[in-house]
Amino acid sequence: MIVYLCRRAATLFLVLLGLAILIFIIARIVPGDPARIALGPLATSEQVTELRAEMGLDEPFHVQLWTYLSGLAQGDLGKSLLTSRPVMDDIVAALPATFELVLFTIVLQVSLSIPLGVLAAVYRNTWVDNLTRVISLIGVVTPGFVLAIILQLVAAHYLGFFPVTGRIDPGVGFSADVTGLLIVDGLLAGRFDVVGDAVRHLFLPSIALAAAGIGQVMRITRTAMIEVASRDFVEASRAYGIPERVVTFRYMLRVAAVAPLTILGLEFASLIGNAFIVEFVFSWPGIASYGVRTILQKDLNAVIGVVLVSGVFFVVANLMIDLLLGILDPRHRLRTRRSS
Amino acid sequence: MTTLLDINDLCIGFSAYGQHRRVLHNVSMYVDQGERVSLIGQSGSGKTVTMRTIIGTLPMPPGRIEQGSIQYDGQSLLDLNPQARNRLKGTGISIVLQDPMLSFNPVLTIGRQMDDVVRYSDIRLGQSRSKAERQLHLIETLRKVRLEEGKRVLDSYPIMLSGGMRQRVLIAMALLNKPRLLIADEPGTALDVTTQDDILALLNTLVAEEGLSLLLITHNLGVVRKMADRVYVMERGRIVEEGSRDAIFDAPQHPYTRKLMDAVPPLYGEKVRTVTHDSTKPVVEIKGVTKDFETRSGLLNRTTGRFRAVSNVALTVDQGDIFGVAGESGSGKTTLAKLILGLMQPTRGQIMLEGRDVATFAGTRDFRKMIQIVYQNPGSSLNPRRAVGDQLAVPLTFTGEDKHTIPGRVSGLLDLVELPKSYASMYPHELSGGQKQRVAIARALSVNPRILVLDEPTSALDVLVQATVVDLLHRLRREFDLTYIFISHDLSLMRNFCNRVAVMLRGEVVEAGPVTQIFDEPQHAYTRALLSAIPVISDEEDAQKPKVSKEERAEVLATNTALEG
Repeated sequence: MIVYLCRRAATLFLVLLGLAILIFIIARIVPGDPARIALGPLATSEQVTELRAEMGLDEPFHVQLWTYLSGLAQGDLGKSLLTSRPVMDDIVAALPATFELVLFTIVLQVSLSIPLGVLAAVYRNTWVDNLTRVISLIGVVTPGFVLAIILQLVAAHYLGFFPVTGRIDPGVGFSADVTGLLIVDGLLAGRFDVVGDAVRHLFLPSIALAAAGIGQVMRITRTAMIEVASRDFVEASRAYGIPERVVTFRYMLRVAAVAPLTILGLEFASLIGNAFIVEFVFSWPGIASYGVRTILQKDLNAVIGVVLVSGVFFVVANLMIDLLLGILDPRHRLRTRRSS
Repeated sequence: MTTLLDINDLCIGFSAYGQHRRVLHNVSMYVDQGERVSLIGQSGSGKTVTMRTIIGTLPMPPGRIEQGSIQYDGQSLLDLNPQARNRLKGTGISIVLQDPMLSFNPVLTIGRQMDDVVRYSDIRLGQSRSKAERQLHLIETLRKVRLEEGKRVLDSYPIMLSGGMRQRVLIAMALLNKPRLLIADEPGTALDVTTQDDILALLNTLVAEEGLSLLLITHNLGVVRKMADRVYVMERGRIVEEGSRDAIFDAPQHPYTRKLMDAVPPLYGEKVRTVTHDSTKPVVEIKGVTKDFETRSGLLNRTTGRFRAVSNVALTVDQGDIFGVAGESGSGKTTLAKLILGLMQPTRGQIMLEGRDVATFAGTRDFRKMIQIVYQNPGSSLNPRRAVGDQLAVPLTFTGEDKHTIPGRVSGLLDLVELPKSYASMYPHELSGGQKQRVAIARALSVNPRILVLDEPTSALDVLVQATVVDLLHRLRREFDLTYIFISHDLSLMRNFCNRVAVMLRGEVVEAGPVTQIFDEPQHAYTRALLSAIPVISDEEDAQKPKVSKEERAEVLATNTALEG
């Protein structure tokens, strides 16, 4: 197990290194001079040359890459042209908001999609199954930003159940300083009003973000459960008199959960991608809004930083899913690999 | 004797998509206290539906009980309320399913699964036992099935046990709540013949020791002869014959029963068909071939172990031979086939096909035209989403057949395997098992190969279907002067199908020669152990089986109570 963890950690490092180099190269290839963009069209060419020298853009490519990578190793992502602050500081400030949003979304996805998928499988070809099918189809086919706007309009603007934008009501007066996650910090400080308000703000963006994944994972859970239901051990467990509830949740779901969990791991990547739009619609002060602004400004250091962070998210999430699968399914752990 | 289970005039139908079909027709049967009863029938005959109805796991709908009754120990099972019905599950009636791998949940430990069975039956019966008491009970039950290392078994996951051990644990599962009626669905048929032999003996002992009644559901007549006091024969949902074991085996009355008996390949006696063939023109020469697999583990994925699948094998197959490679699972027979087909390279040694080295010859168009394979399970070797005609056309396209002549060739191939031309437009799921295997054979023949590797081509088929496929293979061999390499664990079939046989044990060929020599005068203890374990259908055959002493047997057979991994 420890060997496995070390090996996975080593792969993780290599993937991130590869990602860093790749994104650096892409950033250098795209046309347009960052210095020119930063200074605006009125700047003289001397000023541009000066800034290029300051940014290190006149150095040969491999020197730039080396400077960049050694900076990266020390946690230095360079300076943002947009905010004139170190990119690292910007990311650290914006990350918790996105992290909280994505985490809440994943919790929402797991707690809705898997039980609904199980329900659809247990009552397959009944009205329950048909209803979940309709829900999942709507979830999958509606683009996140459309859903976001509809939710904002109906649930927030007309009905007033939820706040329209933002992360927390300015009137609450609380700053999350410990972890940056409002729910966690609110709980730590015993401020339940903060937690409640944070959840109210989180709710609509999370649903907009989660909808597609919920639909997809629900269907996959249903299919996996139906496949498992036809296996011999299910019939055997029933014949030995194990109650139906235990057969469904302990015996069937543990085997069937492999496919939906794998998909949830991949879902993480698209969550960050979709968060760009949803954060924009809900004015969520997260890393995705930051990413959008920096891309439009061709603020290369910041863009690279944002891409790296979402890369770390993705790789770590998949590592966790793999570990979870190892716990769920001993065959992942026990398999010795043979090759010729 | 008192009657424990009494099924009377049972009719069951299935409804799906607005169609209704009756699958059991007026089935009546009984099992007395302490009696061993067998229900024989081919796949689709209604055996499994009968079993599920007795246990109460038949899904309803789509299943529906149309009439009839099932009495168990004086209670009418079909009239009981669900709670009372559930109370009998595992405690009154219990089952042992066919496949010991599939019958366990792969992700829970054996101990967890066994404990659940006891715990929930305790809850239903209003008893309470502590976890430690329950564990003692589990270990005690495992000892009944001759598994001494109870604690280690309980901590294992199903994949860590050998097939024989899993089967034993499965029997222990069924015995946990001391049922009175044990229903066994094809016990041991998924196992090697020597292991199956042990399991059947164990079941017989347990029936006597525990005072169980046994209802055995099987298609294997040899097993029935070993295991039953009384027999029911089922055909298409109807009981067509019943009687004591001796009556059924000595004087079968119903034509269907007789047909079943005749289709079983005899091991000894005058019914045996000996295939002879003389040729000295070698087509496959296997010269000192060894194949190692490496086990990798650790941080750097270094080779940490070596597993020798095929060890220094030297064999020659002559033109026109039907060469049998016999062996149990893990003996290396499939690896050997893959080496011959050039799908793997040997670690040492050389394989020549008609004088050309497979190492360089494999992968060329000529090679593919020379040798082809028919796999064990036509259900998975055919592409489910392609029509039969398209599947037959694939190899033709790859070997450069003209596009315009392909349809004609396809119907020619269907003709060859005795299928109507119209089947070209059908999909595999529309065909029966035997028809699918015919398509697979036609596909292998499409490029006019000279050598066919047959990997257990009939083991997924019923015995009646097996007989027709074997006849087809004989005919094709004569017509096209083919050479067969036949890989199988079914020695009775081999006796009647092959002219030469090699027996493999743990990667080595322990004995090889003409069929008559191997079967009539087996030299190696392993060959004798294999032959003596085959369930046969007459006393004469039993008497002619070679004898093997306990010590010899123990020496050559991998002990099936050892923990793997």
